[in-house]
Amino acid sequence: MMTIKGRVWRFGDDLNTDVIHPPQFFSLDDEKVKRGLFHGLDPELQPSLRPGDVLVGGRNFGCGSSRETSVRSLRLNGIGALIAVDFARIFFRNCTNNGLPCLTLARAEDLKSLCAGGRVEVDTERALVTTDTGEEIPLEPPGAFVRRVWEAGGLLSLLPDARTGWGV
Amino acid sequence: MRGNGLVRGDGRTLSDKIIDAHAVDPGETGAYREVRVDALLGHDATIALLVDEFERRGLEIWDRERVIFTNDHFSPPATIERADISNRFLRFARERDVTHLMLDRGICHQLLVESPLCAPGSLIVGADSHTVMGGGVGACATGMGSTDILYALATGRTWMQRPATVRVRFHGSLGAHCNGRDVVLELLRLLGESGARYRSLEFHDLGHVPLGQDDRFAISNMAVELGAKFGVFVPDEVTAAYCAARDGRRPDDLPAPDPGARYERTVDVDLSALTPRIARPWSPGNVVPVRDVERRPVSVAFLGSCSSGRLTDIRDAAEELDGKAVHPHVRFVVIPASVGVFQEALEAGYVATLTSAGAIFNHSSCGPCGGIDKGVLGAEDVCVSTSNRNFRGRMGHWESRTYLASARTVARAALAGHIGPDLYEAGGAREARGARG
Ligand code: SF4
Repeated sequence: MMTIKGRVWRFGDDLNTDVIHPPQFFSLDDEKVKRGLFHGLDPELQPSLRPGDVLVGGRNFGCGSSRETSVRSLRLNGIGALIAVDFARIFFRNCTNNGLPCLTLARAEDLKSLCAGGRVEVDTERALVTTDTGEEIPLEPPGAFVRRVWEAGGLLSLLPDARTGWGV
Repeated sequence: MRGNGLVRGDGRTLSDKIIDAHAVDPGETGAYREVRVDALLGHDATIALLVDEFERRGLEIWDRERVIFTNDHFSPPATIERADISNRFLRFARERDVTHLMLDRGICHQLLVESPLCAPGSLIVGADSHTVMGGGVGACATGMGSTDILYALATGRTWMQRPATVRVRFHGSLGAHCNGRDVVLELLRLLGESGARYRSLEFHDLGHVPLGQDDRFAISNMAVELGAKFGVFVPDEVTAAYCAARDGRRPDDLPAPDPGARYERTVDVDLSALTPRIARPWSPGNVVPVRDVERRPVSVAFLGSCSSGRLTDIRDAAEELDGKAVHPHVRFVVIPASVGVFQEALEAGYVATLTSAGAIFNHSSCGPCGGIDKGVLGAEDVCVSTSNRNFRGRMGHWESRTYLASARTVARAALAGHIGPDLYEAGGAREARGARG
C-alpha cells in the first residue's frame, strides 16, 4: 500500500465539486484542468500546491457534480490523499477509481488535530495519519473492494481483457 | 428473508430488490456486488472524457441499444473548444452506431425518462449526477464519473452495494402554489445537504391526490442534492399511466418494497401544510419558506434545467405571466428540458404567453445551469432559478448569487423584479408591478 507525505490544506463541510473545480475549467486540456483547482475560492491556492499535499475536509466532502475533471485536477496537481469526516458518494468513487485515496477519520473529533500547513504522513496500510507533533490519528480501514481497486492501480485495471471477454 | 417467515423490519426495500434482481452472482454476499445495468446514459461533456481511454484499450460497447447519448451541455456549442469536445463525442457515438444518439434533442435526464428504457424496476447508470431522476418512474438510476461509466459501457456491469434506505412518506395534497420543487426543497431543509448521503430515498406517495409525474421528477432529480444514491418513487398508478402513454403499453411489473422492509428511518411530510420554499446562496440546503426570505432585487430569472423545465413548470409560469410584463430590470430565460417539452409548450400556447410577457426561450440544453451557456451570471447578478444547485460560482461569477425555487416563484419574482416575503401575499407581485406603472 502507500505512504503519503505532504502538507495539510483545510476545508469545511459540504465542499462541493463546483468549488473544487469551477465548471468554466471543464476541458480536455490537462493544463487548463490543472489550473482550475479551487480557482474561485482562492486563485493563489493551486500554484502553492506541492506533490503529496493532503486535503482535509469535514462532512460530505466532494458533494455535487460527477464531472471527473475535479478528480483529474487533483491528480494533475499531485494531491496525495484526501481525509474527511465523510465523503459524497460519486466523488468517493471517482477518486477511488483513479487511485486517489479518500480516507475517513475513525473519530470525527480528530479533525481539529489536522491543522492547515502542518505536515502529515498518511499510511494507508495501517490506516493511520501521523502529524508533525507525532500524534497518531486513526483512519477507517478501507474496505476490501477499495483495496482491490487501489492495488490494481485504478478501476480500469480490473477491466476484463478486451480480446477474451469475461471468460465465463 | 422471503416467504412466510418474514419478520417485520427484515424485508427488502425497493432498491434492495432491484439490486438483487440485477446481481451477476445472486449468491455473492460481500458488501459490493457486481450488477448488470439495463441502460446507460451519457452526454457530450462527460463521455468525451473517456473516449481516448476507451479507444486506447480497444473496447466495444456492450449493447449499443441500451445506451442513450445526447449532446446537451454544448448544444449547440458556443466556443471552438466545446465544438471540438462535442464532435469527439459525436464521432465516438456514430462510429459505434449507438442506437439512441440524440442530436440536440434536450437534456439527457429528460430524454432518459422519455425513453422506454427507463422503466419501473430498471437499474440505470449515467455519466452525470442527476441520473437519479429516473427514480421518478421507479427506476434505480444513479450518476457516476467517467471512469465508472467507461467500465459499465464496456461491460454492461458495475459494482454496487445495497444502500441503507430512508423512507419518505408524502401525506395530504399539494396546495395550489406548490409543486415538486417545493417538496424537495422542504426535504433539503429538513435533512440537509448530506441528509441522505449514500442512502436510497424511497418515496411513498400516500396523499389522496397523488403527486403528478413532473413533480416526482423534480423530487427525484434533487435527491442527489441530499447526497442520495437513488431517489426512487414506489411505482403506482401514476407511474403506470405515464409509462403507458409513453410506451403504448402498461409496464409488465410494478416492483414494490416488502411490507416489512428495513428502513434506516422514516420521514413524514404533510404536503397540505407546505408553502413555497426557496434555497438561499450558496447551498441547496439553505432553505427557508418564501415568506421568510429577505427582499432582494433579482436581475436574472431562469426557468429550465433537468430539475424543472417541464411542461407543468412552463404552464405555471405562463399562468403567472399571462397578460403581464416581466420587470424591466429582469432577464427571464426559459429553457424547456427537451424539444418534446418545447413542442408541447408551443401547442399549449405557453410559449406565446411567455414571450409576449418578455421571457426569452433558448434551445433545450443545460444552458446557464452549470455556468455553461447563454444566461451565465456576472459578478453583480442575482438569479432566481429552477435549477438544482446554487453552489458558489456554478452559474457564473464567483460573486454572483443564485436562489433556487419553483417555476411559479421564479415567474412571480420575474414579474416583481425581486424575491421577498411579499411574493405570495395576496396581490403582492401584482402590486409591485403596478407600482412601476
Ligand atoms: S441541466 Fe444542469 S444539472 Fe441538469 S444535466 Fe445540465 S448542467 Fe447538469
